[in-house]
Amino acid sequence: MAKPRLSKNNHTLILLIVGLLGWLIPGAGYFFLNEKKRAIIIFVTLLLIFGAGLYIGSIGVIDPYGSWPWYIAQVMFSPLVMILGHYVSAGGFPVYGKPAEIGQIYTGIAGLLNLLCIIKSVYLAHLYRIETDGGQNVADD
Amino acid sequence: MSLMINYVIATFTSPENIGTNPQSLFWLLPLAAAISIGYKATKLSEIKAGSFFKDVVGLFGSIVGFMAITALVLYAITWLATK
Repeated sequence: MAKPRLSKNNHTLILLIVGLLGWLIPGAGYFFLNEKKRAIIIFVTLLLIFGAGLYIGSIGVIDPYGSWPWYIAQVMFSPLVMILGHYVSAGGFPVYGKPAEIGQIYTGIAGLLNLLCIIKSVYLAHLYRIETDGGQNVADD
Repeated sequence: MSLMINYVIATFTSPENIGTNPQSLFWLLPLAAAISIGYKATKLSEIKAGSFFKDVVGLFGSIVGFMAITALVLYAITWLATK
């Protein structure tokens, strides 16, 4: 029996969906690929470390203007961070010293770890297609 | 309910009190643990409790061990330079 074959457009769309889901909710890309254990571990770990960063340094550590390099890393955690950044930039929340440093490192690392998870989940989605097609599409595409 | 929500939000609006002292270096431990768990969750081909835990502990030990060695080397260089 012939295995289902995805067109190149469908394949690109699936890769895009996996990437966007992984960005929207950490681990959701893996969940979409039916890698539930992996998805739960990533979601819990990243949420804990990001939450800990905000708790230690206050939500003021998300600063789109004052510390934009960290902000870029933090946004990799989820697009919701941009909404939080917009809210924080209008609020003037206190952030200083060692807690700010630790908070920025925790939230930034959480974002960069999520970027790694997004890249790996998209690559996994790509490999699933190759396995489904028996490697045919590698040459075709 | 709204009082509880306000209380939870309020805990995130002011920084914790963490001094600049040697003990504050221990804040690297939860981060190293999270990096180990997150990295191994993406790296392993199959997630099984036993092997996953073993790999995470191994990576966590390597990160902390390497940082401790680096700290010792830097401390030794500083000691030699300032004695």
